[in-house]
Amino acid sequence: MGRIVLDKVSKKFGDVEVIPPLDLTIEDGEFAVFVGPSGCGKSTLLRLIAGLEEVTSGDVIIDEEVVTQVPPSKRGLAMVFQSYALYPHMSVRKNIAFPMRMAKVDAAEQERRIEAAAKALNLTDYLDRKPGQLSGGQRQRVAIGRAIVRDPSAFLFDEPLSNLDAALRVGMRLEISEMHERLQTTMIYVTHDQIEAMTMADKIVVLQAGVIEQVGSPLELYNAPCNRFVAGFIGSPTMNFLEGAEAAKHGAHSIGVRPEHIAISTTDGTWKATVGVAEHLGSDTFLYVHPDGGGEAMTVRVDGEFAARHGDTVYLTPTAEKIHRFNDNGLRIT
Amino acid sequence: MSKRTLPRLLQSPAVLLLLVWMLVPLGMTLYFSFIRYVLNSLRRPEWTKPSLSNWRGFGNYEFVMSSKDFWFAIQNSLFIVCSILFATVILGILIAILINRVFPGRGIVRVLLISPFFVMPAVNAVLWINMILDPVLGLNGLAVAGINDLVASLQSAPLVGGFFSLWPEFEPISFRATQTSAYAVIMMVTWQWTPFAVLIFMTSLQSEDQQQKEAAVLDGAGVWSQFRFLTLPHLGRPIAIVVMIQAIFHLSLYAEIEIVSRGNGNKNLPYLIGEFANNNIGAASATGIFAVILANIVAIFLLRMVGKTLME
Repeated sequence: MGRIVLDKVSKKFGDVEVIPPLDLTIEDGEFAVFVGPSGCGKSTLLRLIAGLEEVTSGDVIIDEEVVTQVPPSKRGLAMVFQSYALYPHMSVRKNIAFPMRMAKVDAAEQERRIEAAAKALNLTDYLDRKPGQLSGGQRQRVAIGRAIVRDPSAFLFDEPLSNLDAALRVGMRLEISEMHERLQTTMIYVTHDQIEAMTMADKIVVLQAGVIEQVGSPLELYNAPCNRFVAGFIGSPTMNFLEGAEAAKHGAHSIGVRPEHIAISTTDGTWKATVGVAEHLGSDTFLYVHPDGGGEAMTVRVDGEFAARHGDTVYLTPTAEKIHRFNDNGLRIT
Repeated sequence: MSKRTLPRLLQSPAVLLLLVWMLVPLGMTLYFSFIRYVLNSLRRPEWTKPSLSNWRGFGNYEFVMSSKDFWFAIQNSLFIVCSILFATVILGILIAILINRVFPGRGIVRVLLISPFFVMPAVNAVLWINMILDPVLGLNGLAVAGINDLVASLQSAPLVGGFFSLWPEFEPISFRATQTSAYAVIMMVTWQWTPFAVLIFMTSLQSEDQQQKEAAVLDGAGVWSQFRFLTLPHLGRPIAIVVMIQAIFHLSLYAEIEIVSRGNGNKNLPYLIGEFANNNIGAASATGIFAVILANIVAIFLLRMVGKTLME
């Protein structure tokens, strides 16, 4: 079990309120991702749940039990840190055994759980090495192993992949997702990378300046962002925003169109523009175009075969039903 | 000229200088330790000049080993060094952990704590033996006299007077006496060198990974477990450094021993060398060679011990 409820939780560091009171429920077995730009309070929120920081007001509730005053080790949560936080003087085996050793689990049971975790994480051959002798991905696995053996009611991940290189990050992302499918344990995952959020989450919590902007499934956030911040944060490349006359035509203060929802033509269309930069990824080409008659540069995602070079004139046509409209407060108009 | 010749040529003056610096004194000591060489002898004036014709073989070594203070000096050297190491490392860790916390006036406290290290050894010894350990005028004498006065005044008090009249009169410990002068040296050197240990341990504590500690907290480790399994292994290397450096320094203690008791009941090898060197350079050199051997044995032994217990 691992249903985590935040009830009007707030956090102040001195006089600075980094998290105004907020409510949030994470259901048992859910994979929740906290995402937002750096300094948005997502890591602080995770540390409040873990108990590494004390809440200023409000309550943290795990499985119907108020744990606000319960010390971190008694909350039944396991955390994986960005820097892995492995114990450098202990072998992998002793690292994984450490929480059980602290809990005075008997030796045979310890050994059994270590073997099981090592097997699941492909660490069997490395059990007697020190963390310093492992690669980044292996260290991350050891950190996860140390979390698994505690059989926690929820896993907390604090930007666990940001120290890994791009290829390894994709691999570990899949492993963590697979682990979640297998264990069906609640996981809370903090990241600033919206791709990680989109690919892994059951539920994404978008934060800005300590405030929850929107909570929803990845596709809900993609299809119906509730404000301009979420619209710009979710999706890659980011959404194009237009204000003024173009927006007024749609009865809005500003409109947003995703790069993949713009049709392109060399002959005719709604907007005429000049190609600035063309990024060829093979499968797709991202065109950064400057609309004729001024205005912000826009990004258009076109087929990889589309031939366009700097200075070419193109015509853009947004897909009408995929235009997001926002009012002058940046909120979505439905 | 090959690629490596020029760098080597450029290095060679420094290397040669260091070699000469080290090998010439060592060679001369070895040479003197095998010949008869005294500063002043009316009976055998030919011994006052170092010369191969005065060859004595291992005679100086036999003479030193059979002299009455030699084994005592070795034992005492080890006793003093090990006691100081033990005390400074333990005190150093405790104080370093204490002042690593955030509290008002931390900067000043740190500077004050380091200051004993800047006192000259001879001054340190004079201050301690006269102002603190002196059985009459030092803190030692004053404190014991104060306790005696208090007990005496309580003996005439009602109710508890009977109990206190059973108390004996306390005697201050004289640290210049033969049995206790080593303790005086240990105390004053520990006072002086604890800051060194604190300084090194403190810098090491500041580099400790805080996320590791948080991970340990989540793993259910209490304060003691965090110290035992994280902080102490983290301090392993600094402890080895402190032990090594101090062992080398304290094997050659001299000023404190001279000032406390002029070697009465408290000699170490350097002090013995000093005594021989009043006249018998040959015996002093032989003792010097023994000191070199002892220093090496101690160094290897200590390194192994520290390495084994802390770095697993």
